[in-house]
Amino acid sequence: MTRRMLLALVALVGVLVATYLTLYKLGYIGTLVCGTGACELVQTSRWATFLGLPVATWGVGYYVAVLALAIAGTQEQFAGDRRMATALLALTGWGVLFTAWLTYLELFRIHAICRWCVGSACIVVVMFIIALLDYRAQAAPQPGE
Amino acid sequence: MVKPQGGKPSMRAFYLTIVAIAVVGIAALSYLASRPRRQVGEWDSSLPKLTAQGHVIGSDSAKLEVIEFADMECPACGSWATVTEPDVRARLINTGIIRLRYMDFPLPVHKNTWNAHRAAWCAGDQGKFWEMHDAIYANQDKWNGETTDNPDKVLAGIAQGVGLNMDQYAKCVADRKFQAQIQSNYDEAVRRNVNQTPTFVFGSQVVPGELPYDEFKKYVDAAIAAQESAKKAK
Repeated sequence: MTRRMLLALVALVGVLVATYLTLYKLGYIGTLVCGTGACELVQTSRWATFLGLPVATWGVGYYVAVLALAIAGTQEQFAGDRRMATALLALTGWGVLFTAWLTYLELFRIHAICRWCVGSACIVVVMFIIALLDYRAQAAPQPGE
Repeated sequence: MVKPQGGKPSMRAFYLTIVAIAVVGIAALSYLASRPRRQVGEWDSSLPKLTAQGHVIGSDSAKLEVIEFADMECPACGSWATVTEPDVRARLINTGIIRLRYMDFPLPVHKNTWNAHRAAWCAGDQGKFWEMHDAIYANQDKWNGETTDNPDKVLAGIAQGVGLNMDQYAKCVADRKFQAQIQSNYDEAVRRNVNQTPTFVFGSQVVPGELPYDEFKKYVDAAIAAQESAKKAK
């Protein structure tokens, strides 16, 4: 299993988590209510929508992008392509920054932590670490260079 | 080069793993989506009748009383109040089919909700509870806990727009004149094991969540039918 394969699998889990949150937000899973549960509070807060779409839906798009890029990176013609490693690092790094902002909102504005959001944040961080390791491996002198 | 660990990785095994995770994930999501979305509960009629009163809109002679436990700062309640409730009033309340009893259930997770409930009750003191109720929900984004640390100021502006006597309103809010009534509504919700808002009671059915009009009407029809068949059985 290569790092990019691992990255693709982790991104796929992210797609599923973000899809679950999107379906919840749209009312296909569970009922939109306000309760004492932190996930409900986060999902019904005004921060749960970004540019007219649920944040979770943006998450689905983001994870699909990482998944597609990581799968492309496993193909033979891109295996040694440093630009691919750079793109994966940039994309996952941007994800970490966006997740940090969302976590800030949860902690300091909404004052509630949704465990599904924490799960998604962990996935984003793991993806970034894998992409960083991949980038460093690509940057290291290759045999025969 | 991406370094394979333990020899050349098998693309076939990788794709199979992707497909396996996707299939399991989609199956799990399908299962979750196919479950009943609302956990409809039973209204415990063995408990003593409501001791708290809330506020009522509709005719005393309506066929059915629907009870709503709601939180002024809850976005789902706000959405129901602004999107669905106008239809409910026009087609069910104004036609004498139901009356609606609004019971305060200010959830602890909402910072400014008590201020809004007090404001609504103070408007009620001047006979304008429902006007204030509607204005508070319509302007929820202006006074909620994520928007302001001074909700009373924003709510006073809303009260002025509703046409209240502001001296009387300000004294009522400052004195927290109806704190005990709101608390007794809250206690009633807790006693009834209501733990989310909005929650509606149709006869013996307790239904949580923001109900669209058609679903709301379905529960109304079912409760009226159950009442009528119970009368016939007597």
